Amino acid sequence: MKKLDLIKLPFSKNNPITVQVLGICSCLAVTAQLKPAVVMAISVTVVVALANLIISLMRKSIPPRIRIIVQLVVVSALVILVNQVLTAFVYDVSKQLSVYVGLIITNCIVMGRLEAFAMSNKPLDSLLDGIGNGLGYGVILVILGFVRELFGRGTLWGYPIFEKLGLYNIGYENNGFVIMAPMALILVGIIIWIQRSHNKELQEKS
Amino acid sequence: MKQFSNKYMLLYALGLAAVVALVLTIVATSLKPRQDKNRDAETKQMILKTIGIEATRDNAAELYDKNIDSEISFIAEDGTEIPYYTFDNGIVISLKGNGLWGPIWGYMALDHNGTVLGAVFDHQGETPGLGAEIATDKFANRFIGKQMDEHPIVLKKNADKNNTYEVDAISGSTMTCNGVTEMLEKAFNQYRTITFSESKTEDEQ
Repeated sequence: MKKLDLIKLPFSKNNPITVQVLGICSCLAVTAQLKPAVVMAISVTVVVALANLIISLMRKSIPPRIRIIVQLVVVSALVILVNQVLTAFVYDVSKQLSVYVGLIITNCIVMGRLEAFAMSNKPLDSLLDGIGNGLGYGVILVILGFVRELFGRGTLWGYPIFEKLGLYNIGYENNGFVIMAPMALILVGIIIWIQRSHNKELQEKS
Repeated sequence: MKQFSNKYMLLYALGLAAVVALVLTIVATSLKPRQDKNRDAETKQMILKTIGIEATRDNAAELYDKNIDSEISFIAEDGTEIPYYTFDNGIVISLKGNGLWGPIWGYMALDHNGTVLGAVFDHQGETPGLGAEIATDKFANRFIGKQMDEHPIVLKKNADKNNTYEVDAISGSTMTCNGVTEMLEKAFNQYRTITFSESKTEDEQ
């Protein structure tokens, strides 16, 4: 596989959320607003990339029967380490991220990529695969965060855009259902639908 | 994939655990003083914020000494030590409770009549965009002007704006908001002995 494809494919026919169907849980949880979605996207990208790199370096020494727990230990240690350093030196950033620590460690994308890619590929390829998948995940998060915050709260990045446009004065009301988790699932479904209708390769033969 | 012996596997697991534990311990211990300093400054920032003073992490200690008259604590009925802070116009009480995923806490400034002058909330791991919204000014400011004298404040959907014991809850965060309501009720019961004992009769208990 070409190096560039490792970054590019997760955006299209190998997207972690819409094609691999990984990381759905965290994607429902953090996309009620745009800002947490972006923070989560960046955090996951950093963690998947680094974890992929480390596991790939260790891959030949890891006994297959305990590989999952080894992966989990590496990921947890990495996330806690980053959080500790942030708490000491850039406290405000760590406040923002502390909420995500648990969500990142248990994110299926991290484990999924370690298991599917880093365990059997070279370190550089694994690093690129991690970056690609993190960003591919992030792009869906940002789309969901954008739609849900705009229609659920009438704001974007906290800025009251609908209020400034005067939509409330002409009878518009925020749609509370968009904030709820089921709506994220429905939106993911719609994205998958659009993606599959454009990409014949992804359609299952019936 | 090559086979590994059981002995190798066991040693590998132990070795990995030891290395990770060592690294984390070293990092955590060496960074602790800095982290504690940050946390302490943050607590002071939060307390100052309830009385309307915006402090940065650097000048929090200085402003705190200037504006907060004393830190006092009393022993509650269940034996726990409850702190409170006095300032010119009243007291700041400390709130502790549980949200959906972990602890939530906050501070609330009350004047001598039990009217809320300001509040701040924070949390450890509530869902971003939903329960985590309790940490925003937008949420905390809903408490200003409400009363904590005869009843605790209750969070509910579509709260009556004129009712001084009701505050609008956050939609999609029912569990976290219930946690806040419980936390307020607990604090109310703990602090009522000191705050309102002079002015209120005991017949409500």
